[in-house]
Amino acid sequence: MHKATVIPLLAATAALAAACGGGGSHAGSGSSSGTSSSATTAVTPGSGSTTSSVKTGNPPAPVTVTESGSSLLYPFLQELVTPLSGAYSNVKLEPAAGGSGKGITDATNGITTIGGSDAYLNGAELSSGLMNIPIAVSAQDVFYNLPGVKNLKLTGSVLAQMYEGKITTWNAPAVAQLNPGVTLPSTKVVTIHRSDSSGDTFLFSGFLSKTDSTWASQVGQNTTVTWPAAPGALTANGNPGMVQACAKVPGCVAYIGISAQSEALAANLEEAQLQDKSGQFVTANSTTIGNAVKNAAGSVPSNLVADLLYSAGTDSYPIVNFEYIIVKPTQPDANTALAIRDFLTFATSTSGGSTPALLAKENFQALPSNVIPKVDAAVAKIS
Amino acid sequence: MPPGPAAPLHPGRLRRGARWDLAARTGLSVAGFVPGLVLAFLLYQLIREAYPSVVFSGTHFFTGKIFSIGSGYASSVEVHNGYKASAGAHYGILPLLWGTLISSVIALALAIPVSVGGAILLVERLPARVQQPLGVFLELLAGIPSVVFGLWGVVTFGPLLARDVYKPIASLGIPWLSTYTATGQGLLTASLVLAAMVVPIIAATTRELVRSVPATTKEGAWALGLTRSETVKAVTWPSIRSGVLAASLLGWGRALGETMAVLMISGYKLDAYPHSLFDTFTTMAATVAGFLDSALQDPTGMAVHALAEVGIVLLVVVLVTNFLGRLITRRSTTVALPVGRGV
Repeated sequence: MHKATVIPLLAATAALAAACGGGGSHAGSGSSSGTSSSATTAVTPGSGSTTSSVKTGNPPAPVTVTESGSSLLYPFLQELVTPLSGAYSNVKLEPAAGGSGKGITDATNGITTIGGSDAYLNGAELSSGLMNIPIAVSAQDVFYNLPGVKNLKLTGSVLAQMYEGKITTWNAPAVAQLNPGVTLPSTKVVTIHRSDSSGDTFLFSGFLSKTDSTWASQVGQNTTVTWPAAPGALTANGNPGMVQACAKVPGCVAYIGISAQSEALAANLEEAQLQDKSGQFVTANSTTIGNAVKNAAGSVPSNLVADLLYSAGTDSYPIVNFEYIIVKPTQPDANTALAIRDFLTFATSTSGGSTPALLAKENFQALPSNVIPKVDAAVAKIS
Repeated sequence: MPPGPAAPLHPGRLRRGARWDLAARTGLSVAGFVPGLVLAFLLYQLIREAYPSVVFSGTHFFTGKIFSIGSGYASSVEVHNGYKASAGAHYGILPLLWGTLISSVIALALAIPVSVGGAILLVERLPARVQQPLGVFLELLAGIPSVVFGLWGVVTFGPLLARDVYKPIASLGIPWLSTYTATGQGLLTASLVLAAMVVPIIAATTRELVRSVPATTKEGAWALGLTRSETVKAVTWPSIRSGVLAASLLGWGRALGETMAVLMISGYKLDAYPHSLFDTFTTMAATVAGFLDSALQDPTGMAVHALAEVGIVLLVVVLVTNFLGRLITRRSTTVALPVGRGV
């Protein structure tokens, strides 16, 4: 070969090799590094928590805290953007949706500062040092599209059979048995599930696993599950996507996060009553959710991984969960860490982000007071 | 002064003309090698990424029906042949292979007659003043991004088909035509949209081919008393045949690899075969795009390796069909080959 062809060939190869050898750089989202002059203050006064040693304070330079993940948590985070900047003028929260799975992987890889997830972390993720910190209590509804049929009673087992394809019409005996006196149409059941890696899927599949042994052994609980082949099953992306898809299809049943409840009701979907562990049929409201949390909150471990599904007690809603923020304890610079601590303490404080007004818009509840010290202990580790 | 022979490579001693010549040759050599290097680099990285999955799944990849990531929340992991995956993970792509092939076959079966017939009609029958704008329009169609087709399919075309076509047909109870989805997402809708994307490719090429059929041959046929359609059958078609085949292979390649539109319109149904022409399904390309999100969450990383293996299978299918196409068209050297991707 001519020298004129060999040399450029070698040069091109070398250039490509250098380009691929550059490995993965991780994006830090803080701005200027350098010394942070953060004041040591207790968590916002007037809240329910007692003393805490979490260092908060306005960072010396503007910091953007980027977030992605749970579409159930997303509306609440959108609400917090302005009040947060009001309390700490240099902290700006930029939330996005995309599904809990995306939130976890983005936070792990440093693509966003924090992640939002309805699902707690699994063993491998926890042992890599990642933290999940709850900021609110949320729940999940089951909606259906049967005009004229209101307050339908369903159990986890019946829902599992629908999603497994064993119950194919709404007037099946299993459904009629739960709803005596209600005229059920012979419309085909069309189940809708999430196609993205979703915390809502995690909660729903967890609820089904606890109420139906076939589901537990064959499908299990995960943010992405192998959905059984139910006839006519559809997929949707995100909670708003679930609402849209279900609204278009008569006979559909969908699991939708409670922050999308008002949209679902506006789209003429009906909320189902679910059977709790004590056998009562309940809908999601602050009483039933509060009861569920009360019964399970006593046993929250220090890593804050808590399963609030199908908890014991009367009148307690079966699909309840903590909304988690996924964050790495070690941040690239002190200002970012400060901004994250500011955000987390603000979000959980009852005079900051967890005011009744802000929570009520998404039908969330505040964290129980006995969980707050553990949350603060975890937040203090972020540096 | 005419340029002399190339001077020996002593820097500083070259005349300006020879220096430019050398620079041009060097630059063009780099440009010539880079695409090949990029392809080699891509293949190398893809194979390296897919290797753990190849070892883990073995032949089960091509015989299994379930494509499952397993559960990261279980306390154990699965280990096959030395590679770890989450508990309960299975990677089998039969439904994906089936979906890819069947949707492309249906798309081409619909697209080829329409585009060839349409192109012949355009050139032979329509007056020249109509031909020109219609031809331009056809070429514009080829440039519409696939995600726009997907959006149109989901928002307009799918629901229209579901309401006016699938529902009445499904109520007749014919096997393979008796289940459908209210959103219209499914195999036939996706194949129709794929056909719409493939028609411009085949039609534009066929139009050029028909135009290049020598007029004297056609006039000779008319002189012998053949009608226009007999002329098409006897004169035009034999001379454009292999070019149409080459264009169809280009269209086939596009249909196989089409990702966004199929992901939106197919209904993205993993782990099951469609039970009717109107049923939801998925393809390899759509699954790679749709599943990546979840795959990144797999703590063992096996899911991403499995997707890379799906990518390789898709690449192999497309390359093999492209290669076969070139082999077939090489037989005929009188017809201009279509210019486009892959040729």
